[in-house]
Amino acid sequence: MTLLKETYLLLWKDLLLELRRRESLLTMFFFGTLLLFVFHFSFDLAPEKVPEMAPALLWLAFLFTGTLGLAQLFNAERENHCLDALLLSPLDRGALFLAKTAFNLILMLLVEIVVIPLFWILFNLHSWNLLPQIFLVSLLGTVGFCGLGTMMAAVTLRARARELLLPLVLFPLMIPVILATIRCMENILRMGEFGEALPWLRLLLGFDVIFLTLGVLLFDHVIES
Amino acid sequence: MTEGGRPIKKRRGILGALALIAIAVGLYWGLVIAPPDAYQGQVQRIMYLHLPSILTAYLSYFLVFIGSGMYLWKREKRDDILAHSAAELGVLFTALTIIEGSIWGRPTWGVWWTWDARLTLTAILLLIYIGYLMLRSLIEDEDRAAAAAAVLGIIGFLDIPLIHMSVYWWRTLHQPPSILQPNKAPWENVHPSMLIALTINFVGFLLLYFYLLSLRYRFGEMRGEIKARRLARGG
Amino acid sequence: MGAWGFVGLAYGIVWGIILLYLISLKRRYNSAQVELDALSSVEATDCDVKK
Repeated sequence: MTLLKETYLLLWKDLLLELRRRESLLTMFFFGTLLLFVFHFSFDLAPEKVPEMAPALLWLAFLFTGTLGLAQLFNAERENHCLDALLLSPLDRGALFLAKTAFNLILMLLVEIVVIPLFWILFNLHSWNLLPQIFLVSLLGTVGFCGLGTMMAAVTLRARARELLLPLVLFPLMIPVILATIRCMENILRMGEFGEALPWLRLLLGFDVIFLTLGVLLFDHVIES
Repeated sequence: MTEGGRPIKKRRGILGALALIAIAVGLYWGLVIAPPDAYQGQVQRIMYLHLPSILTAYLSYFLVFIGSGMYLWKREKRDDILAHSAAELGVLFTALTIIEGSIWGRPTWGVWWTWDARLTLTAILLLIYIGYLMLRSLIEDEDRAAAAAAVLGIIGFLDIPLIHMSVYWWRTLHQPPSILQPNKAPWENVHPSMLIALTINFVGFLLLYFYLLSLRYRFGEMRGEIKARRLARGG
Repeated sequence: MGAWGFVGLAYGIVWGIILLYLISLKRRYNSAQVELDALSSVEATDCDVKK
């Protein structure tokens, strides 16, 4: 239980900080919207093609915005050696991992809540009734992304050119999540129900569980001194 | 370097010589003695390289995993050197696998590259472990680089089954099965001479692999020693 | 290019790359060895001076 309490406290600290500075959320949100515009201009999709392409475009937008968030996830700690101070405290490192994951997750979900409906408007999609399912898949995918992403942000934390290195290391590992979410959304948009998407959903869930557990267990080793 | 350095060097020499012999026999058997395949013809001979390469690549990634886990557990430099050496060799053999597959695919499938599940999986593996090597080269501090790389080595290896699953589903759910039948065991209806050729090549690759690994490992050890001595001299 | 052409290409590239890797590894190995020996001899003279 102390793990959850510590997680909550650390998360609250990050959220307060973000509320004051509004650095990450605004840039991520703006970048996500910008990507939708860029996609629209560069693909010039025929209306009947949009449901086929929508999942890939949406997820690409989330992938990029999410990476943007991850790249500055530990910025507050890097400045003024706050990380060292945090690590000196008797905090469970697992809690630090969960808090950082949850923080990035909240940011990404806030962006997604706006960007998904915006996508439906900009690309003239009519299947508004399917949004809850799309959100659910998005949520599962984003949990996996943030879990593994937080790990990799910590792994690349002390590297030179870490902003460039992060996606290089992260994206290949993220392929199960990318494939699963896109196929899930595609099935939902095509069939109007989960149907064939269920095995993908299970894979996604398994991915989330595995990488959150690994994160709690291994985070200690990456972050220390 | 000091105690036991000479015998290890000698043993490595023997290993290298054995590898050389096995490779020479393997080349002869694979290119001359073994009959051409009934369906694929001579091109099938590339398989004598292809299967051993991918096997050694996977062995390599397993060693990266073991070395990484041991390093995080015991924090001994040698485990990290093992993981680093194995990752480098893994990238080499994966790249070779892709090249062979591509050259085999051109006359067989008519294209250099196709998004076949196995090809895709191999390419992703290559990307993951190139990332691993880049990560190592971009962190100055040795211990931090080792710890960070170890975590990546563990996560990367555990991710392989998930990637495997997703890539296979992606292909089977969205494309008719390729002309290759993945379910058919490779040794069905195979001429015994072909099996012998394959086995010899396997042995040759494994011997070569351990020769290279031992050389690369020793190199890693020496580099660590040089750094430590420079540090001790205050240089 | 005939079937043997592809086989030759594959075998040539593969063994070529392995050979190149081996040579580069040997070169790295030898330079490290030389450097290590140099450091050892310097340390040895240091000891002599102290004596």
